[in-house]
Amino acid sequence: MKAAGQISRHVALAVGGIYMLLPVALMLAGSVTPTADILAGNYLHNATLDNFAQVADRVPLGTYYRNSILVCVCTFLLQVVVCVPAAYAMARLRYRGRDLSVWLLGVLILIPFQVVAIPVYLMFRAVGLIDALPALVLPFVGSAFSIYLLRQFFLSLPGSMFDAARLDGAGTPAIILRLVIPSSRPALVSLGVFTVTAAWNAYFWPSFVLTSDRAATIPFGVVDFVNSDAVTDYGPQMAMATLSVLPLLIAFLFAQRQFIRGLSLAGQAD
Amino acid sequence: MRALRQRSLPYLLLLAAGVLALMFVMVPIVLVVVLAFFDINLVSGAGTYVGLDNFRTEIAHDEFARSLRNTVVYGVLTVVPSMTIGLGVALLVNGLTHGKGFWRSVYFLPVATTLVAMSAVWRWMFHTDTGIVDTVLSPIFGVRDWLANPDLALGAVAIVGNWHQIGLVAILYLAALGSLPRDQFDSARIDGAASWNVFWHVTWPALGPTTIFAFITTVGSALQAYDVIAAMTQGGPLGSTETLTYMIWVRGVNYFDIGRAAVLSIALLALSLLVTAAQRTGYARRLEEGGTR
Repeated sequence: MKAAGQISRHVALAVGGIYMLLPVALMLAGSVTPTADILAGNYLHNATLDNFAQVADRVPLGTYYRNSILVCVCTFLLQVVVCVPAAYAMARLRYRGRDLSVWLLGVLILIPFQVVAIPVYLMFRAVGLIDALPALVLPFVGSAFSIYLLRQFFLSLPGSMFDAARLDGAGTPAIILRLVIPSSRPALVSLGVFTVTAAWNAYFWPSFVLTSDRAATIPFGVVDFVNSDAVTDYGPQMAMATLSVLPLLIAFLFAQRQFIRGLSLAGQAD
Repeated sequence: MRALRQRSLPYLLLLAAGVLALMFVMVPIVLVVVLAFFDINLVSGAGTYVGLDNFRTEIAHDEFARSLRNTVVYGVLTVVPSMTIGLGVALLVNGLTHGKGFWRSVYFLPVATTLVAMSAVWRWMFHTDTGIVDTVLSPIFGVRDWLANPDLALGAVAIVGNWHQIGLVAILYLAALGSLPRDQFDSARIDGAASWNVFWHVTWPALGPTTIFAFITTVGSALQAYDVIAAMTQGGPLGSTETLTYMIWVRGVNYFDIGRAAVLSIALLALSLLVTAAQRTGYARRLEEGGTR
């Protein structure tokens, strides 16, 4: 009776699992199958890397990857530099206007970036930063969500830890560098997973500020490619999609726990 | 001197974040309202005050009502299935003796993928007759060619939207189920309560805060739906998948009509705030408190 219950659970999950995995499986299989075979439904019969070669011929893959990596790394590092001190002040220091700043943080989290995209777009246009990497990074550096996430973590650290450091005569900058950052590894890993995933997969904002391949990230390249004259080249399309999805997919398989933690915290702000 | 430094330090730490928040959220929010009253020529950079003209033309236009309706319909088509299926998956996985981690990963995998790239894959899956959706579903249900059909295209977009976020909802519920106090279940079981009763009177109220959080998350992504539409339907056919966020891009970046894009942005802001307000009232409030007993 109990075993039957367990088996029916597995069966139900497997049925839903088809919905979850089929698109990824089709993409991976399609990426190594010639377009003619894909159209005939013969996946993997004549496996080849030709689709990837075609993609590499037609689009500047190196530029896409370089831009994507730069955007991810810069967004994360700048977020640490900007958000850690702010979150520490809001969690641990007393100052006039503290309640106001915490309240404001709560409000800022609620505002979707899509609402302010038009004016931010005009601002970047006005200073000539359209189609440039800083435009893809700067709006997300002072992320209210990241500050909120870090602040929650700093609040949970034991107060005695900070008191001891202060008694030893450590100043606030020293406390942040030598105490807060080393003991916040789990929070920083969560933040990293969330920020890098969001930056790597972002398409809405890039579709505002990108106009050419110069500063284009991979998702922009995928859409550009899919809607170009390659619109019926399904093999190369699957290869292009694979090139976008695979790096994070591999990272996910190796660091599942960090991914699940980081992304499940992602809820509120995007 | 030292005292002054001590007192100004918190503000120094907040400075960078404050400047960025001002530049990229607070000033733009004010700007978006101001822009709605102007006719902006992007080439010359000149703006003319036009009063409520942008509101009048945009709101009177069919596309406005349509994108508002599509946004709400898409919200219903993604929030309800994502939350029920996500909860179902979490309950199924939570009751497993073996393979918990495996199924958790399977369902979470789509969350880590590039949605816009996967939408290109889904577009192929929905391809007329040769795509897997038509080859499998059309003999059974008689529906085919989803992306060319104004009655089905938004449903297709929702199928992809759900695919991408069910795992996230499931993970949120799984985490909550794992931290539920055991003693409540044990006492319920000693009382001999049926499992449905245990779920309804013990589990569901205890999951309240997670339900609210999952609701806010899924509604948020419904309001911001863009990637799938851009890669799969581009608003078509016949505008049947044009949502508010997609129309902000169409008006602002495609047609350079900044004033009307600003009106749409205000509508999106209003919808977002409405959802937040709803979260603080009625049943939502009771759910939220249910968990803190």
